[in-house]
Amino acid sequence: MTTSLFFVQLINGLQYGLLLFLIASGLTLVFGVMGILNLAHGSMYMVGAYLAWYFVQQTDSFTLSALISAIIALLIGIVVERTLIQRLYRRNHLDQVLLTIGMIFVFNALQSILWGNDPLGVQVPEAMSAAIPLTEVVEYPVYRIFVALVCVAIAAVMYFMINRTRLGMLIRAGESNREMVECLGIDISRLYTIVFAIGVMLAAVAGVIAAPMSSIVPGMGEHVLIACFVVVVIGGMGSIKGAFIGALLVGLVDTFASVLLPQLSSMMIYILMAFILLIKPQGLFSS
Amino acid sequence: MNNNPILETEGLCKHWDGLKALDDISLKFHDRELHGIVGPNGAGKSTLLNLLCGHYKPTSGRIIHKGEPIDAIKPYAYARRGIGRSFQKTNIYPSATCLENCCVAVQRRMGGSFDFLRSRNRQQVLEEIAGDALDKVGLSARRDEVAAHISYGEQRQLEIAMVLATSPCVLLLDEPMAGMGHEESQLIIELLKKLKREYCIVLVEHDMDAVFELSDKLTVMVDGRHLTTGSVDQVRDDPRVREAYLGQGDEVY
Amino acid sequence: MLFNKRTERYFVWVFFPLALLMPLFLEQNTFYVSKLTTVMIFAIFVMSLDYLVGRCGLITLGHAMFYGLGGYIFVMIAPEYEAVNFWIYTFYICAIAAAVALVIGFLVLRTSGIYMIMITLAFAQMAYYFFSDSLDFGGNDGVFIYVKPDTSIFGLSLFDLENPVHFYYLCLLSLFNTLFFFRLVTRSRFGRVIDSIHENPGRTTALGYNIFLFRLMAYTLASALGAYAGYLFTLQYGFVNPSMLAWTTSGSALVMSILGGIGTLYGAILGTLVYEGLHFSLEHLTEHWLLFMGALIILMVILFKNGIAGYLENLLERR
Repeated sequence: MTTSLFFVQLINGLQYGLLLFLIASGLTLVFGVMGILNLAHGSMYMVGAYLAWYFVQQTDSFTLSALISAIIALLIGIVVERTLIQRLYRRNHLDQVLLTIGMIFVFNALQSILWGNDPLGVQVPEAMSAAIPLTEVVEYPVYRIFVALVCVAIAAVMYFMINRTRLGMLIRAGESNREMVECLGIDISRLYTIVFAIGVMLAAVAGVIAAPMSSIVPGMGEHVLIACFVVVVIGGMGSIKGAFIGALLVGLVDTFASVLLPQLSSMMIYILMAFILLIKPQGLFSS
Repeated sequence: MNNNPILETEGLCKHWDGLKALDDISLKFHDRELHGIVGPNGAGKSTLLNLLCGHYKPTSGRIIHKGEPIDAIKPYAYARRGIGRSFQKTNIYPSATCLENCCVAVQRRMGGSFDFLRSRNRQQVLEEIAGDALDKVGLSARRDEVAAHISYGEQRQLEIAMVLATSPCVLLLDEPMAGMGHEESQLIIELLKKLKREYCIVLVEHDMDAVFELSDKLTVMVDGRHLTTGSVDQVRDDPRVREAYLGQGDEVY
Repeated sequence: MLFNKRTERYFVWVFFPLALLMPLFLEQNTFYVSKLTTVMIFAIFVMSLDYLVGRCGLITLGHAMFYGLGGYIFVMIAPEYEAVNFWIYTFYICAIAAAVALVIGFLVLRTSGIYMIMITLAFAQMAYYFFSDSLDFGGNDGVFIYVKPDTSIFGLSLFDLENPVHFYYLCLLSLFNTLFFFRLVTRSRFGRVIDSIHENPGRTTALGYNIFLFRLMAYTLASALGAYAGYLFTLQYGFVNPSMLAWTTSGSALVMSILGGIGTLYGAILGTLVYEGLHFSLEHLTEHWLLFMGALIILMVILFKNGIAGYLENLLERR
């Protein structure tokens, strides 16, 4: 493998990892605060991508489309939480799994009805369609760097929010002791709605920014969901730091595997997961 | 009474990230003796029991059972060695009958747990032993009642019956009289008086009257550390003990 | 008494005789006979999952891995153009699947709750990608079975697997045996330990049981039976493909199990019948049947928590 190819794959891997982190952090946030494993989290990623495509068709502006999609995702999150997720608190894991599987079916069916099953594509926005030369022969797409930067920026905003704001404090408190927060007079159900909506929006935003990088197809949600699970299992559920390291690991392993070991490539991240499970069943950084 | 302790700890410590729950505890427990453990809240009594039954692993120090160190073995292995434990929060199988609860306990000793074809209802010996355990604690009348439907006091009795059904050599009892009224407590006290003639019992309790009445030996713990061990009278007269309790606002007498 | 709940007895006495006579009613229509056969095969799979989830409390989203393995193991070990003995190969397949389950279970059962759900799903996906990417196994197209096994014992031919009605009866027999077997297991001393672990794992450990070992055994048992179902399915249509291992297979099996009544075992048959029945009728009405299925599942979780069997038991069981 040449050095330039190595660097390209390295950046690809990191960028994919950062994207996975964005998605996984939404999943971990919802689980950590509310105790809900939302299997339909991947569906929101898919919804984000499809919405992005739709609004780009309507408005011809990627930025506008991204904004609208994010807002719609937030609204979907609020509605879903109020009508469905709310009924899951204090119920067991089986009910959660089942309800969210039902949601996956519904989302997939809606996707098929609204947008059909053919692959769709979103163009990389004009402003970022260039590529930065890395060496004499190799270039790297600006857009991918943009995606990585957006992920880092959102991660920074989240870090700030969780550690420096009142909402963040409530989130951290809710993570460790739900009843206490309720007793303190905080409207926990409103907190949950906000947290869920944010979590879902993170997945959708990831879908939006990822859309120009590959084709939008049915089933993309589940594919990314399972990658997220691997991230969370490796990193340890409930740990943002773990999700970050896990995501970068998964991103790098997956990217390099597809180049170095094409026959085994799709299996590599699961082998990695199995290996880590053997030595540390709780994940690398479990809380 | 045997002079060799059946269970002992040597320099037992348990730390949680900087919090010292137990610090250098060395105690000896003998067969056919009831050894009471008391102390104000936060003294580490429950932690000690958790360590003795393998629920927690010690940070340092040793636990020795019948001469062998056991601090490194798996949690379920403690029970197999005959160290039985009852819990402070009632820990039974609510949806099963009292008899079935005890049958689960007996089956551990009797074996046959890997037999997946023959019916569980055909093992008469097993049910007899389970029935005997219920008899010992006075719950025979409730044999076929679902455990969730019997009274709280009866459930505590069932807890003890389950431990007895495993044919233990050491009984670790964590506040067996918790939440009980006077009459119910009396039943348990009478039961323990009978049992201490057969088993080594380590009793953690807040009910002082009961502890004084039952204990052959009494240990006082404060803030994770061992304060004193002696006979009931020795401990009662110890000024340090009075201070430990009054200082915390708890009443001893 | 093996079937000790009244509802269960009613079900067994209604369903099995009906099923026995069904091919006579459907005389000329092998299409429906085959459809029912497929339903029964999947019911075996769902029952094995119901045992794991409902009886042992082990929630797995990767059970379909063994369903697919049942078929893929067969194509791995059976010679291509020769009719092997069905019964011997049943043993081989269950044994190999059990061995795989031991390994996977060892990794997976060290976790619990949410983790287990995620990890089992991930492993199933790994198996899915393994088979769909591999050229040896035909990739996405799968592998065809050219010759179906022969079911003779000591030279006496019992079922002709090419005959849909014969195959139907073989599967009906298998379904009954599976239910019977699981009832034996749940009633046994092993079942006593499993029930204890399910209801109160802490107490069970405190009594001295190695709950990891028992869970592993239950997992292995259920997985071997799941593989058997997959093997039957493969033989019915003469081919195996990766979609058998898809997470949707696990997901819908879970739905059927809960629809029928989680933990009841016979409920798995009810749930599969109702779900597949709905699927079949909805599919003819609209290509977007998944939407209604999804909505139904959501409603079921919110309203119908104990499934059909639960509902019936509430009506019929009186203390």
